[in-house]
Amino acid sequence: MKMLLFIVAVAITVAAVALFIRGAFTLYRRISAGVPSPERLGPVGPRLGAMFAEILSHRRFTARPLVRIAHWVVMVSFVLLVPTLAIAYVQVLDPSAELPLVGGWVVWQWLLELFSVGGLIAIVTLFVVRLRHPSDPDDAASARDWRSRFFGSTRWQGYFVEAVIAAVLVCVLVMHTLRSAALARYPETAADGSWLHYPLTFWAGQLFWNSAPAVLEAGISTAAALKIIVSMVWLGVVGSAATMSVAWHRFLGVVNVYARRELDGRPALGAAAPMLVDGRPFDIRDIDDLDEDATFGIGSIDEFGWKGLLDFASCTECGRCQDLCPAWNTGKPLSPKLLTLSLRDQAAGGAHTADVFAALRSSGAQSADGATATLVPTVINPDVLWSCTTCGACTDQCPVDIEHVDHVINLRRHEVMVKSDFPEEFGSLYGNLDTKGNPWGLPPRQRVDWAKGLEFDVPVLGVDVESAAEVDYVLWVGCSGAYDEKGKKTTRAFAELLHLAGVSFAVLGEAETCCGDSARRTGNEATYQGLAVQNIETMAEFGVTKVVASCAHCLNTVGREYAQLGADYTVEHHTQVLNRLIREGRLTPVAPPEDERVSITYHDPCYLGRHNDETAAPRELLAAVNAAPVVEMEHHAKQSMCCGAGGGRMWAEESLGSRINAARMDEAVATGAATVATACPFCSIMLGDAASSRDDAPVVTDVAHLVLAGVKRGLNNPNPTAKEA
Amino acid sequence: MKILTCVKYVPDAGDEVGFESDFTLGRTGPSSKLSELDEYAVEQALRLRATIDGATVTVLSVGPAEAEVALRKALQMGADEAVLVSDEAIAGSDVFGTAAVLIAAAGYLDEVGLVMCGMSSTDAGIGALPALLAEALGWPLLSNAAEVSVEAGQARIVRSDEFGTRVVEAALPAVVSVTDQSGEPRYPSFKDVLAAKKKSVTTIGLAELGVEAALVGAGAARVQVTAVVRNPERAAGRVIVDVDGSSVDDIVEFLAAATK
Amino acid sequence: MGNVIVLVNATSDVVDAASAELLTTGAGLGSVVAVVPGGGSDALVADIAQYGAAEVHVVSCPQLSDSLVVAKAALLVERAAETHASIVLVASGLEGNEVAALVAAKLGAGLVTDAVAVRADDGELVVDKVVWAGKYTVTAKVVAPVAVLSMKANSCVAVVAPSQPEVRQAHFDFAAPAPTARVTSIEPAATSSRPKLVEANVVVSGGRGTDGDFAPVEALADALGGAVGASRAAVDAGFAPQPLQVGQTGKTVSPDLYVALGISGAIQHIAGMRTARQILAINSDPEAPIHRLADLSVVGDLKVIVPAVVARLG
Repeated sequence: MKMLLFIVAVAITVAAVALFIRGAFTLYRRISAGVPSPERLGPVGPRLGAMFAEILSHRRFTARPLVRIAHWVVMVSFVLLVPTLAIAYVQVLDPSAELPLVGGWVVWQWLLELFSVGGLIAIVTLFVVRLRHPSDPDDAASARDWRSRFFGSTRWQGYFVEAVIAAVLVCVLVMHTLRSAALARYPETAADGSWLHYPLTFWAGQLFWNSAPAVLEAGISTAAALKIIVSMVWLGVVGSAATMSVAWHRFLGVVNVYARRELDGRPALGAAAPMLVDGRPFDIRDIDDLDEDATFGIGSIDEFGWKGLLDFASCTECGRCQDLCPAWNTGKPLSPKLLTLSLRDQAAGGAHTADVFAALRSSGAQSADGATATLVPTVINPDVLWSCTTCGACTDQCPVDIEHVDHVINLRRHEVMVKSDFPEEFGSLYGNLDTKGNPWGLPPRQRVDWAKGLEFDVPVLGVDVESAAEVDYVLWVGCSGAYDEKGKKTTRAFAELLHLAGVSFAVLGEAETCCGDSARRTGNEATYQGLAVQNIETMAEFGVTKVVASCAHCLNTVGREYAQLGADYTVEHHTQVLNRLIREGRLTPVAPPEDERVSITYHDPCYLGRHNDETAAPRELLAAVNAAPVVEMEHHAKQSMCCGAGGGRMWAEESLGSRINAARMDEAVATGAATVATACPFCSIMLGDAASSRDDAPVVTDVAHLVLAGVKRGLNNPNPTAKEA
Repeated sequence: MKILTCVKYVPDAGDEVGFESDFTLGRTGPSSKLSELDEYAVEQALRLRATIDGATVTVLSVGPAEAEVALRKALQMGADEAVLVSDEAIAGSDVFGTAAVLIAAAGYLDEVGLVMCGMSSTDAGIGALPALLAEALGWPLLSNAAEVSVEAGQARIVRSDEFGTRVVEAALPAVVSVTDQSGEPRYPSFKDVLAAKKKSVTTIGLAELGVEAALVGAGAARVQVTAVVRNPERAAGRVIVDVDGSSVDDIVEFLAAATK
Repeated sequence: MGNVIVLVNATSDVVDAASAELLTTGAGLGSVVAVVPGGGSDALVADIAQYGAAEVHVVSCPQLSDSLVVAKAALLVERAAETHASIVLVASGLEGNEVAALVAAKLGAGLVTDAVAVRADDGELVVDKVVWAGKYTVTAKVVAPVAVLSMKANSCVAVVAPSQPEVRQAHFDFAAPAPTARVTSIEPAATSSRPKLVEANVVVSGGRGTDGDFAPVEALADALGGAVGASRAAVDAGFAPQPLQVGQTGKTVSPDLYVALGISGAIQHIAGMRTARQILAINSDPEAPIHRLADLSVVGDLKVIVPAVVARLG
């Protein structure tokens, strides 16, 4: 009987391992077919360090602490139990076999027991979490389940993987229980089978003290065999389904984290990845060297770098990205998860599981089932591609470091730069940017109009001052800050504050052009670089090194992306500078008297919070100005929800689903706050629009206005008691 | 068959472009470009090219050397070749002078089977050129088209104007002008921009065309500009704060004056 | 200055506003020969006599409806030659400008399209035209013996000056000298509907401030004979269909009068209407940017003010 079990176990193992090796080889071939990305392989040391730090800490699990702990326990138990699977083959024949070296070691046995029981509790927890987010794409032919992050994940695969883990852990615990009983019942071995060695299973083992030794041995053999069979069924199933990424993530996720874009632990946000042409970053200044057949962006699956293909193959289908996606949550067909799965399946030949296909169909992102040469529009519906606001919530949330935003931008680059196929509104945007240097097509000479009527002069570089060295900061006004009525008021308020604090600054005036954010994020890298190079040349002429911007997009583009073109500036956001000026005592805001104080909520601009890690400075400012912490919306800080303007969506109609800015305003209204402060002109415009269409909306304003009001209160009526901040 | 598309180099509406001392418009501003209304003509020419076997698109402009900018844009959009007629003697021409040059150029180029124009220029805004070209070439005029197609040597347009919507047809060769309702001009892809760098713009003068200088230019114009006055800038006007309907009289008065 | 040919729109039984203005303008320049192409009703001829014409030529022409502009132009050329006219006036428009161009070409005449004023000055004909998005007014004199002008609507006030014109019936057979285009189907402009947004001289637009009720916008547009427009915010909110959108991502309009009702005036919107000759804005928000460029700004409730204005306009 033992021998029979052993033969079955070995036979199934041989078959499973063969299948698994075949699957692994398929995946290796599939992923290594990607464009070479040598920069993702080294430096080995720092990469390994970053990989272990991230995986062991689970620090990319930024929300859901329960799931974070449960997953960590399951992960550790998986690693610990691998050696026990090896000894299980021996245990089928000899139930008393122990792992060499560590087998009877108390520490090892405690670890095993703790993580087996812990793992079982954890996997049941995760199972329950999955059950509590039910999703049935079949029922969703006309209505999709917004709330479930697992909507569109392949259900049987999730349940199967979790059931296998549970079954293996049960086998382990049964073996331990029977083994402790077999040892503890005889005085001569009682010590080895005591609770000291089997701290958790010993107590259950007492139930079997009266069982015959042969029964116990048979039980252990059977459990060991079952453990092997279950494990090998898993291995075989996984091996025959190379797109079963929920299972493969155990291996591929590790490599994906190793090959992550940022070595400092940040997600792949901030600067967009450079556009590679023949493996080298595109530079518009070398336009004459471009090969005639050069292609731009990504138009077919084989144009992805191997890290991209690894991204798709590693997706755990956990749906954290989908859960926070502003496009998905307002009824648009884009889900970052489904986009990833579409690309994963395309790399594998095009077939989807029933659940993925049903979700794609019911969300309006239906892709043809089957391989095609080009990605858009067949595999990726243009509505999916153009719905993305590049807010980065997906990438920030992803526990396996999938780089959604970069992929979207690369797909858009192909659409714009090769096919010239994009939402109609971008045509006039690009034309205006190309000819006028601003999105509205307004004359450059109006760029300094915002400063008219101020009580002090705003010097213009090259006109009033010769060099940036003569001033503390160059104030990057930005197109919204120069042309939009709301933006102009914010620029004025910030300039007044700098003036009051005795900080000298100058502007680039007519020589400033759009930073290029909207062009870049809609895939028009040529227009972006045209603008960027022009700005870089202008700033080089005046020796600019220190810049302050009141637009989160300008902050990101000038501060992080111009470096890709050789620039080197320190760019700060106006909330950061203001916060420092207050700390240094150069500005002293005074809170309103208690009876006039209203509650304030703060909307994090995506390009300040998620893309540039600044969530504290604006909150500190607001707390100082209002002598009370801000009331938070449901989604805030790194989990904040986009206003709807990012990724060039500012310039496009929002005709699909409901409006993102309205959904965000719902959250603001729910706080009961009288004021929504924000720190980006795009957010101000979008939220202002949303507020104007309802009666119960709070006032939308930039943080700078509140700081200025506070500082003016202090100047008009210095009242030390109100200086709580 | 060549589709000859006539385009104009104009200042951008936002530029501060003034008039020269001879009252001609300063055409070269910081963002002077291909007239937006002519982009529609280029777009329709390119779309027609795709439907006609062996068709190519030649863009033609009359203007200063800087007008190459406008032709370059058309090449980026996908035109096959570009011709610029540039000659000191042409400066100051009225619409008849410009028409004479374009007609000579149409004859100079071989195999022109279709002339395409925008509905009007964005600077002078005369809207007469297509009719004059058709008249002089002796070709049918299919003007101000909101839709245009060519099938089996027959051109067909849909035109909507003050007299209703009409379908008009004629056999090629013909002169077609298109409106801004005809379909959004394409934004050239970067691939197209790169491809256009390899194309050249041919510049010719009146001598090559055999046009007598006396027939063109300010001297030949039948209308002479005698004055140009800058109209007052748009500024905030009167503001009335109305809490009780008291503004109605003022509004009615304003509307009467504005619609007079 | 001799005979002035005025092309009268023959599509109705009364002289339309544009033709009446042409007759008045022509009467100020010389002896008016009103040309009614394609035959006109007695009522129309009688109405023409209200505006001081010396002669009325009712010219039948069987090819008129089949041909696009060329037959009409040839008809006018023939009339001009026969009457030795020195001036030909037509109404501005897509067709009017083309007819003017073709007549001028045939007569070797000076041509000004979209003129806003014309006067005889010391024996010379002097014409004003507004160019460059309304920024400049250009004055030009016609140095050819004959002038052909297309006149913008609303460039003068039609004056009733009854006369006893000589009425002539004539026939014109258009024999095309070269191949011409054929009109194969006609759908007359719907007379009841509003003018097209991009062509209208008056545009009344509604924004978010209408709160979804476009009735006041439409009522004012109809009272002014104008087109209805909308801001992006209003379109986004579903108050109006997208084809009515005025602004950067919608239509660009350049009417004589633009009325902005409940529109804040985001740059998006202003980009599409900043060349309007006159702007009236009614908005409850005194800070709305639209007030900074409107010729008349009313800070108040459009739902109260507009119906009152419409009632007054009758």
